[in-house]
Amino acid sequence: MNPILLIARKESRELLGSGRGLAWLLALSAVLSVLGLLFVSNTELSLLDNAQVVTMELGTITALGALLAVVLGSDAIAGERERATLIPLLLSPARRTDIVLGKMGNQLVGWLVMYLIGLPYLWAVGSSGQNLAQACAYLALFGTPLVLGFGFLAQGLSSRAAAVRSALVPSLLALILLGGPVMLGPSFRQSAIGSWLDRVNPFAAAINSFDSVVIDSQSLSAQLARLAIVLIWLAATAAFARSSATSMNV
Amino acid sequence: MRRRLLLVPVLLLCAAMSALAAEPLEITLAPDGANPASPQMGEHLQFGSVIRNTGGVSLHGIVAWISMVRMDPGQEQPMDLEDWSAHKAVTRATLAPDGAITVNWPMRLIQAGDFRVVISAVTRDSQRIVTSPFLDFHVRPKPVVESSRILPVAFGMPLLIGGLLAFRMRGRILRR
Repeated sequence: MNPILLIARKESRELLGSGRGLAWLLALSAVLSVLGLLFVSNTELSLLDNAQVVTMELGTITALGALLAVVLGSDAIAGERERATLIPLLLSPARRTDIVLGKMGNQLVGWLVMYLIGLPYLWAVGSSGQNLAQACAYLALFGTPLVLGFGFLAQGLSSRAAAVRSALVPSLLALILLGGPVMLGPSFRQSAIGSWLDRVNPFAAAINSFDSVVIDSQSLSAQLARLAIVLIWLAATAAFARSSATSMNV
Repeated sequence: MRRRLLLVPVLLLCAAMSALAAEPLEITLAPDGANPASPQMGEHLQFGSVIRNTGGVSLHGIVAWISMVRMDPGQEQPMDLEDWSAHKAVTRATLAPDGAITVNWPMRLIQAGDFRVVISAVTRDSQRIVTSPFLDFHVRPKPVVESSRILPVAFGMPLLIGGLLAFRMRGRILRR
């Protein structure tokens, strides 16, 4: 069997079959539930247009997916090192690039599960509004490279770190740096620094695309520049993860 | 005897007229010029009213408040303004003769339908209520989140994953 698939399958089984992995998914689902309940119980939020609510939900699912990817990515190599299983893994016939891609397979499964968990929530808030199908499609199109990019970044840091914590903290900081201003609202992005960050920030590119597709019903051609930013982010973080894995010390 | 009997309704009429005359408050109510022509749920409206003392003596302990009723056929009911407005009443200790209180009544449109607002006022010494003319408006609906769909998903998904988690943990305990 292909070593990439073998590693991905083993890791995914741990994510979906272990109590810890399911507890993570339960926590992420609980966050979406609380958000959904806020939408109907809070007077201000209950008056938001359907499309606005769907856009907020898309941003939240993406952020939670990125958080899951950061946690899984931080544990990918440093966790093996902490559990003293890294040497046996490196002694296996799998190349280091295979290990990186196999571990990413686990993150891809994690994101897929997160996506599937998010779909009922999207239906619940958006089925009486507009562009729900587009919302689901763009969540896959923009969310996948963005989330996997965060996974690659965390995995790259994990290869260089001695402990999971050492990889997790800078990965979370990167997530907060890129996702924080976007999630906090447009007023944070109107300053000179904010607008500059908005142009190069892959998180902002994804959120702005969700906004323009779901609320303004714009076409894919208007999103190509933003898609390019997200794909560049994925390529850059993948290269970082690969170079970190090839140069890592046991 | 017959003359006396005729005198009773005349006296009652005079008493009623004097009671009316003793209520020297006048209230106007008009929509703000900046209000949207066709308001939608979530938008804001503002109503202006002037409460004027048209009598010759000062009035004391004036309380004025806004009330609203829903007028959709079959759904007529008084509305609780809790979510609609934070400014639902004004009070003044004294209102001099020919004095006036100008009040703006802001309102957030929470629900779609046909509504009617009215301003009412009382003074401490009077036994009657004074009201403004009615003002009717229609609020257009807007597609918003429906709780009937949110609640099953919001409670169902964590329960489903929690159930799966409990099943896995039970299986692990039994294996031990």
